[in-house]
Amino acid sequence: MDLKKVFENNKTWISGKLATDPKYFEEMGKGQSPELLYIGCSDSRVTAEDLMGLGPGDVFVHRNIANMVISIDLNIMSVVNYAVDHLKVNHVVVCGHYGCGGVKAAMQSADLGILNPWLRNIRDVYRIHKEELSAIKDEDKRYDRLVELNVKEQCVNLIKTAAVQKANRDRNLKVHGWVFDIHTGKLIDLNIDFDGYLKNIMEIYHLD
Amino acid sequence: MNKFYEQLLENNKKWVESKLALDEEYFIKLSQGQSPPVLWIGCADSRVPANEIIGANPGEVFVHRNIANMVVHSDMNMLSVLDYAVNALKVQHIIVCGHYGCGGVKAAMGNDSIGLIDNWVRHIKDVYRFHKDELDAIKDEKDRFDKFVEFNVIEQVFDLAKTSIVQSAWRKNQALNVHGWVYELSKGVVKDLNVNFGNNSELDSVYQLNI
Repeated sequence: MDLKKVFENNKTWISGKLATDPKYFEEMGKGQSPELLYIGCSDSRVTAEDLMGLGPGDVFVHRNIANMVISIDLNIMSVVNYAVDHLKVNHVVVCGHYGCGGVKAAMQSADLGILNPWLRNIRDVYRIHKEELSAIKDEDKRYDRLVELNVKEQCVNLIKTAAVQKANRDRNLKVHGWVFDIHTGKLIDLNIDFDGYLKNIMEIYHLD
Repeated sequence: MNKFYEQLLENNKKWVESKLALDEEYFIKLSQGQSPPVLWIGCADSRVPANEIIGANPGEVFVHRNIANMVVHSDMNMLSVLDYAVNALKVQHIIVCGHYGCGGVKAAMGNDSIGLIDNWVRHIKDVYRFHKDELDAIKDEKDRFDKFVEFNVIEQVFDLAKTSIVQSAWRKNQALNVHGWVYELSKGVVKDLNVNFGNNSELDSVYQLNI
């Protein structure tokens, strides 16, 4: 990918947009009110908007290594608060993907230096689900399952936040867990039981 | 489940069909791995979809997006992305792309307290402080806002160059360049601010690391 080509691509893209709507960018400059916050992996193959068929203005996006939601990470918590409290999105999606390099690294014992603390959060997911995962003999299947369980746990981490709990009460905001199947291009809805999770953790995590 | 949500999954089915129509083995190839040449650090703003505005295909751009495209040197989220991109994927370019009309930068220009985000926005306010004289001298508020967006991008490019991750790659003679761009929402144009680094010689000596 040639960086000079990028500027050419950008010009072509602008012409395309203006051809269908001469006021396209004028309108875009006025503001945003996305319906969705997408939290996904930084992986170059999991192109958030593209694979959901969405365009500019449709979805607020945060992408990090292995789509993690960590309560003391001010980076993602600023994104969540801005999207939920200020932009008033009604849906939050955590989207993982099979073949995730971060999840793979967390299944191995290599010392990866500065990455260790981040990957520790994925190892913690493994620990929570150790019995189920260790019972899976096939390594690829265990890896796929950890990807799914990691998405579910990150959804739970979102449900633990005050912003999500309040928005759920006020306007029925929902959190969804997906996996992008990199082998087929398909999005798999894990159909997480939002209300069930919420109920389960309320005793300890409820915030007024 | 509501219509909007159902539509996303429908859109995905059509997207898969369109990819397979052009190349039956598209996803088989995609699943074999990634070696993107670019790391994009951009804003979470819904109007700045990284891949779309620069015409990049799946597999070409590793992406990190946060409020106001910040590179905060103690942020483990961004550092983890940076380390993986530079040391595991060996990207050749890192682009910090800001955009005019950025809500985070706007918030940093004002005095409202907006909760937890105040602590993130503080990093942007610090950029204002570095360039206070020049920014204060701009009378038109929109012009000042635009200039602040640009200064913020430039500062983040410097912050990338100061990291041990980037300097270590340079020390190993890894081809790695950092760039600063601004996206103009109301025109769709990506503008190069011509702030580029390929080594640490232009950094203040206090930031140069002997790695």
